[in-house]
Amino acid sequence: MTKAKKEPEAGGEDRTLEGRLRRLEAILGRLESDEASLEDALQLFQEGVGHVREAEALLARTERTVEELLANGLVEPFAGDED
Amino acid sequence: MGDEFSLDLFDDVPEAPEDEAVSPEPPVEEPRVWSVSQVNRAVRSLLEQSVDALWVGGEVTNWTRARSGHCYFTLKDDAAQVRCVMWRREAEALPTDPEEGMKVRVFAQITLYEARGDVQLRVDKVEAEGAEGLWRLAFEKLRGRLEAEGLLDPARKRPLPRYPACVGVVTSPTGAAIRDILSVLGRRAPWVRILVRGCRVQGEGAAREIAEALDALAETGTPDVIIVGRGGGSIEDLWAFNEEEVARAVVRCPVPVVSAVGHEVDVTISDLVADLRAPTPSAAAEAVVPDASVVLGQLRELPPRLARALRGTVERRRLALADGLDRLGRGMHRRMDPVRQALDRNVAGTERAVRLLLERRRHTLGALSGRLHAMSPLSTLERGYSVVEDPEGRVLRRVGDFSPGMEVVLRVSDGNVGARVTGPREERR
Repeated sequence: MTKAKKEPEAGGEDRTLEGRLRRLEAILGRLESDEASLEDALQLFQEGVGHVREAEALLARTERTVEELLANGLVEPFAGDED
Repeated sequence: MGDEFSLDLFDDVPEAPEDEAVSPEPPVEEPRVWSVSQVNRAVRSLLEQSVDALWVGGEVTNWTRARSGHCYFTLKDDAAQVRCVMWRREAEALPTDPEEGMKVRVFAQITLYEARGDVQLRVDKVEAEGAEGLWRLAFEKLRGRLEAEGLLDPARKRPLPRYPACVGVVTSPTGAAIRDILSVLGRRAPWVRILVRGCRVQGEGAAREIAEALDALAETGTPDVIIVGRGGGSIEDLWAFNEEEVARAVVRCPVPVVSAVGHEVDVTISDLVADLRAPTPSAAAEAVVPDASVVLGQLRELPPRLARALRGTVERRRLALADGLDRLGRGMHRRMDPVRQALDRNVAGTERAVRLLLERRRHTLGALSGRLHAMSPLSTLERGYSVVEDPEGRVLRRVGDFSPGMEVVLRVSDGNVGARVTGPREERR
């Protein structure tokens, strides 16, 4: 079962929205072009659904992160946007 | 003209004429002699004190910028010319040097170059072709240079990331631009991390600060795309974005840069070298992130599509299997048919052969039975012969086999006859 666990991780190591959506495209590409074996197709499907769920959760976030890169190279929460 | 005399009398130029006028010593009839320096100094101060600074229009010729940074040139019209000087302090504010023959107006103080006695304009400002002429000229010069290097080539423009995880922003931390950018980013893509590097965007040294801010953000390796810009302002306010330092920083930035300076109508060098020019800071923010609701909509279409694709994969496998079976069947038939045909053909042949054989046999049998018939003893009997046997069935062939009174059986062609031996008959006929 180590292989089954490894496979989704290899595809899902980029956890950004961009990474997930790109992976989803690749998955759909493989599934729709019929390159995958039945077993792989099932696994790809499951991985894809996982990415959709995670991406949805990410998109549902409402609190933005604004930071400021200071002259000394440190990063702090941005304070200039008092409004 | 004695030296000591001159020193005494003319050292203090402005006072000299008055002293003379009220001098109580009239006896010597010597004329007053002024030194050239005194005259020029007097004229200069007269000019500077009596005439306010003014705008003078003309054509620039022989512009030279000395090592010291001071600029010297001549302003002329059809009939006259005047020497001009622009000290380094003022000259540094120029976006670029005017070109030979360029029509300009200068804001200047009329003065005298004492060493030569020439009238001279001490210039504070130079403007060409309306207020923006020199800025335009500087813009076009830099644009030409960058274009020659291929830096404005549309092929250099990098596509923006579709779903950036982090957006860098270089602008004034207190301006309208940062507010607009943050508000749009927050509304459209709240999942995106925003990394701001504040800097001054106008005034002395702003170009350097903008360039450094871009470099600093790039160096963190965090942003996937960077917005550089500011809100609207005069051409002088926006000028930093037309300077080569900023252009070079945009060009060397390792991630795509979106430039948004001023309003829609303002186009800066920074806009030209950037990967994308946005008309305003808000538009830049919209350009760098997708709208959350749109992405969400697209995302929701994916599970059914995934399911369809999976079903499709299964269905195609099933069809392929059915097709395989079908072809296997057809293949078998194709291979069997000739065999069966051959078999059928063979069976027919065999039957024919057997029939032929049988017929031939029958024929042969007929012939044989004819011959057998000919050889049969019965046929001999038919010809009139008979066979004599004793009661035990032994055939009696010789005279000696017989004895008088002996019961015998005569076999004739159609049956047997009983008889008795009467005696031997020695002699054959």
